[in-house]
Amino acid sequence: MTELTISQVQMTFTNVSGISALLAFWAFVLGAIGKWKTKVYRVAEILILLGFVCLTAAIITRGIEANRFPLANLYESTLWFAWAIMGGYLLLVRRLGQNQLGWLAALFATMFFLYGSWLPGNQQVITPLVPALVSYWRQIHVPPLIISYALFCLSGLSSLVELWYAGHIRSLILAAVTIVLAGTAICLGTYTSIDTVWLQLLFVGSSIAGMFLAWRNLSHIATAKADQAKANVYDEISSKAISVGLPLLTFGIITGGLWANHAWGTYWSWDPKESMALVTWISYAAYIHLRVHHELSAERLSLVSIIGLILTLLTYLGFNSLGFGGLHSYGRFK
Amino acid sequence: MNGTQQLHNGEVVTSNKAIAENKSFFYFIDKINTWLVNSLSSVKLTIVLLSLLAVMVLLGAWCPQIPQGGPGKVVEQFGPQTADYLIKMGIADIFHSLAFLLLISFITVNIIFGSFRHVFPKLKLLKSPMPWLRAEQINKMPVHYQFESSLSPADCENNLARTLKRLGYSVCINGSQLTAESGKFGRLAPTVTHIGLLTLLAGVILSSWTGFSGFKGVCPGETLSFLDAEHSQLWLGKLPNWTVRVNETHREDYPSGEAKQWYSNLSVLDRNGKVQKTQTISVNEPLSYNGVDVYQSSWGLKTLKIRFNNDAKQLSLQSMGKLFAAFLPLPQNAVIIFSIRDAQAPLRIFAKREDWSSPKLLSQVPLGGQTDLGGVSLIYEGTVAQTGLQYKCDPGLPIVYLAFIFIIGGISLAAVPHRQVWAQLKESPSGNNNNQLVTIGGTTKKGKISFARQIENIMEKLKND
Repeated sequence: MTELTISQVQMTFTNVSGISALLAFWAFVLGAIGKWKTKVYRVAEILILLGFVCLTAAIITRGIEANRFPLANLYESTLWFAWAIMGGYLLLVRRLGQNQLGWLAALFATMFFLYGSWLPGNQQVITPLVPALVSYWRQIHVPPLIISYALFCLSGLSSLVELWYAGHIRSLILAAVTIVLAGTAICLGTYTSIDTVWLQLLFVGSSIAGMFLAWRNLSHIATAKADQAKANVYDEISSKAISVGLPLLTFGIITGGLWANHAWGTYWSWDPKESMALVTWISYAAYIHLRVHHELSAERLSLVSIIGLILTLLTYLGFNSLGFGGLHSYGRFK
Repeated sequence: MNGTQQLHNGEVVTSNKAIAENKSFFYFIDKINTWLVNSLSSVKLTIVLLSLLAVMVLLGAWCPQIPQGGPGKVVEQFGPQTADYLIKMGIADIFHSLAFLLLISFITVNIIFGSFRHVFPKLKLLKSPMPWLRAEQINKMPVHYQFESSLSPADCENNLARTLKRLGYSVCINGSQLTAESGKFGRLAPTVTHIGLLTLLAGVILSSWTGFSGFKGVCPGETLSFLDAEHSQLWLGKLPNWTVRVNETHREDYPSGEAKQWYSNLSVLDRNGKVQKTQTISVNEPLSYNGVDVYQSSWGLKTLKIRFNNDAKQLSLQSMGKLFAAFLPLPQNAVIIFSIRDAQAPLRIFAKREDWSSPKLLSQVPLGGQTDLGGVSLIYEGTVAQTGLQYKCDPGLPIVYLAFIFIIGGISLAAVPHRQVWAQLKESPSGNNNNQLVTIGGTTKKGKISFARQIENIMEKLKND
């Protein structure tokens, strides 16, 4: 009876949080196109805050219900991801007073709520931990990684807004379509039984072609729509999210190595998930070098950040849904 | 006259032409040297190498790697033809391929040259104090303001210093001039990170040249020896002559029947067979002795012990997901399947013929029980468990851990913005002797907009004071 009540409380908190994120999205959209801009944006921010608080409560009650740290399967990680997206927005973005990122952050959080709630039942139920996961290292290793993925996504979304304000509309459309196609491949891999080879081709093919075309079309600028001052603000948000996300990713990868060494006697075994986390790390290390040494313009850097977002999606969700194997197959469907 | 001329006393005199030739030779060498150092330390090269590394690692993540899953895994995923191609191309073992090792060597060279040319020299900047700037110079800063304050010079300067200190700046005052700096140690980020990367490479090289590792499945009563361990050709030491005996091994289950933990009770025996240490290990709880670590890596049931008409027989068990199964082929394409969940569970016996769609359950026998299979008496005597022990000796590990600390520290420091602020107070040129003309400006490489807002807020506060 008690267990059922905790479960219901947890589901209620999760649902309120998901609905808040969805309402916040619409409030941001209304704020952009309607009257009473300031008031509507205020309501949207309150909704994001409400969603964040409720999701914090949902994660805590999930932990009480499972009697363990609530980050052991894909469903729980999507809750953490949405939590970090909303928290990241409130901490990093709101301080700079930029609302254009609000609707994208709220949309992304809502999509992760939907993604999590549509996962197969065996991914949502609380199941006993396999021996390898029974360790205090789980709560040290996994949360920084999920939070870093959320910050990288915020950075990529901020780069999309930057492209808009810099007048690179063609590149923006191409980059956005690329992200949508990558997301489609991940969703098809999650919810359908399409052969993963085709989905891998869709993900990789659309990412390479889309980003190449976006890069080539950067020379096309719609000057009438350009607002360089605002573009600079979003460039700063993007860079700030990476500067916080990269230490977290580094910490997550290294603590994963320490855990693996403690459990199996090797800190690096070229497991697919490890390798892909390394690729994501390399892409952001390249971003930092390019930024510090002024090798690329802000617009080209924004595309590097969007490439980072795609690699983050591949590392976080593509690994499970596109049919990779290895030691980190706890959230695998196929 | 070419080259050199030797005088009677043996002294060598070089002609002007030879000097010129030598000069041009050294100039040429110097040019090549400069070009080589510039190229090897270039950030563009870093980006190219990192991109290549990312592509190779992605390929390694996409294609199952032979050292992890064997060639069978590649065939299973891609079919025999594509698998054969991937194996021949080296993609199925990309992390041991010559191309990958060359790339890692090239990256190492790039890090070393980049560190000594671009990163480490910047350490000097930490020691150098901020210069004192005049109002005209401050006005050329990326962020700068000039305004009048009605406060006295001392009050104005004190207010400004107090505000900056509250924001985390260290402040220096020299008469009417002020400098302030925050996040100075953020400038150490590239140095610390590069030291970490170089330390990591040193640790990995030391491990691969001097360490050893291996895996063995061991049944209770048997011993684990390190003599067949994998180790480098350059390995300089001696493999341990002590062994590890498995006294007992078992699996702990959740109430639902899934494995919760695997345990093995181990004893370290010296070469005379004397017990030196005894410990029960589990996943995440290894045994450490004399620099060697022994890990609980896997667990399973190895052998099924049965008796047919009092004739003892042992069958090999195979892991089939949550179950273990043994197969006994019979004539006419039939097979008897023995299935068991764990050591205490009853043995389930199935028959399967080629023309049957699924196996048929013949009998279920508890541990120590007996059943009759078509006139043959079968007694289920039990199973033999096997613990999978991974072991390793890694002398480079402390260096690798030190590198991890440097890398985390360095990359965290990169998030700290380095900010510099200058200010100068002058008498107001407006003629009001009580007013001060305050010039304030500054620069930063990270978070320029936040910094500009911070300086603007400081200015507004001083104006209002």
